[in-house]
Amino acid sequence: MTNYYFSTKKMCVGHDNKPLIREMEIELQKGEILSLIGPNGAGKSTVLKSIAGQLKLIGGTVYIGGDVLSGMKAGELAKKMSVVFTEKIKAEMKSCRDVVATGRYPYTGWFGILSGEDERIVYEVMELTHVADIGEQDFNRISDGQKQRVMLARAICQEPEIVILDEPTSYLDVKYKLEFLSILQEMRDKKGLTVIMSLHELELARIVSDKILCLKGEYTERFGTPEEVFESDFIERLFDIREEEFAANGKLLAYIRQIGKI
Amino acid sequence: MRENRKYRYIAAFILLILCTVFFFILNVCIGSVTIALSDIVRTLTGRVSNETFTRILWDIRLPRAVAVLILGGALARAGYLLQTFFGNPIAGPFVLGISSGAKMVVALMMVFLMGRSVRVTSADMILGAFIGAMVSMGFVLLMSRRVNSMAMLVVSGVMIGYICSAITELVVTFANDADIVNLHNWSRGSFSGMTWENVKVMSVVVAVVFIVVFLMSKPLGAYQMGDAYARNVGVNLRLLRVCIVIFSSILSACIVAFAGPISFVGIAVPHLAKKLLNSTEPIRMIPACFLGGSVFCLFCDLLARMMLAPTELSISTVTAVFGAPVVLWIITKRKKTHM
Repeated sequence: MTNYYFSTKKMCVGHDNKPLIREMEIELQKGEILSLIGPNGAGKSTVLKSIAGQLKLIGGTVYIGGDVLSGMKAGELAKKMSVVFTEKIKAEMKSCRDVVATGRYPYTGWFGILSGEDERIVYEVMELTHVADIGEQDFNRISDGQKQRVMLARAICQEPEIVILDEPTSYLDVKYKLEFLSILQEMRDKKGLTVIMSLHELELARIVSDKILCLKGEYTERFGTPEEVFESDFIERLFDIREEEFAANGKLLAYIRQIGKI
Repeated sequence: MRENRKYRYIAAFILLILCTVFFFILNVCIGSVTIALSDIVRTLTGRVSNETFTRILWDIRLPRAVAVLILGGALARAGYLLQTFFGNPIAGPFVLGISSGAKMVVALMMVFLMGRSVRVTSADMILGAFIGAMVSMGFVLLMSRRVNSMAMLVVSGVMIGYICSAITELVVTFANDADIVNLHNWSRGSFSGMTWENVKVMSVVVAVVFIVVFLMSKPLGAYQMGDAYARNVGVNLRLLRVCIVIFSSILSACIVAFAGPISFVGIAVPHLAKKLLNSTEPIRMIPACFLGGSVFCLFCDLLARMMLAPTELSISTVTAVFGAPVVLWIITKRKKTHM
């Protein structure tokens, strides 16, 4: 129907059959990175959960690689899409390596025993995401930032074509934020990975994304390339930042003008 | 590190199997008449025909020991399934009121059917217990939608248990004297009076459920990670949930139908098995829980029979003494993280 790898047609999302955002039209080529931005409570997580097939759509259709999402078999979808949500994995008595290895689930046999090939992929992914050194540590005893990296490793281990990430950088320090985004770009360049994520860091969203989706209110506020989205004072309007409120504070005002221009 | 783990699993299973064999033999040897191991072998192989020994062994001790082995394993397994299902370390068929629900229906059946001198078979008892277990389970599931704290779920389970027990008491009070004799021992939990006929039925039921649950170990492992991630790797959550509910109810029903409600085994054993293995992977936990439950119940049944011999204690009295401290231990350890 379309040449897009991922698209939504008249998608309407929300909880308990109450529409939150209507008529969303998203179109992505294979290997593009899409960032969702918008104020708290705008529905970023709701959109991501709906796209991942975890929340029932209220209306419209999601297409992945030419197939309709709701018509795909669970096992089939698991080989194409992986997720990193804000809720952490429950992992009692599991090492970080065990958690990463759970990403191999769709590929292992009836009892889920890892083959040599699976072990190799787990090892490679852990090297790539720089979590190999904490591999034998208990998942429940590492920091939130480390957990986030392990969660990314798990998602990549699933060898997806598209990965959905909800605020993946929230607990990371600046070095790991950059490293995290560079891993995503590397995966895109090498394997054509398509990425859909929500980000709070606007500067990073602008640098790393091919497309930006702005959410606010009942309809998509804006969808386009970073150049189209980040123009003049759009960010200030998106987040309802009024310069008058901060007029007394010269430094904050300067900061606002700066982010308005990114 | 990985090699160490493998050795640990092997060592743990060898230990469990040795303990099972050890306590099984003790249970067969020790009783009001102590029979030496050599005599048992000779009697069973038929080289010496001692009528009394043969009777005691074949009609009383062996069926009882085998039943304890099977039901103990089933009990720990039911507890493990429920803990996985609710993500709650102190869930179990007894605390969630499932055993009591099963007990209530079986008591009603016994009083009303036996009172009219209708013969009740083992299969009927299991069926009745299953219906009772499912009714309680239904209530617990309804409650679990409304309360989101682990502690409150257990409290509502205990309440359901009390309601069912109260109804059972009421029925027993108004039953004929002859019925009460049957009911009284059973309703407090006891392995006494097992026959080979009972053993046959329970072993078929438990074996089938064991195999099916073991085959489910991969999706169960994913389910432990949380709903979102289980769904993401392709687990059919709804189907899996239905399976867990049905199989844990069948196991609970089978135990209650034959031995009455037995406390704490379902909570304590999976926890101890987890500590022993240092793993929560279902593929290892399912057999480990079964063996652990067998050992625990064989040990407790031995004490129940021997401590105040010839008077027999109810099995729950003994399991509570050893199981309840484990539950307290779990609760104090949990405090630090969440609950």
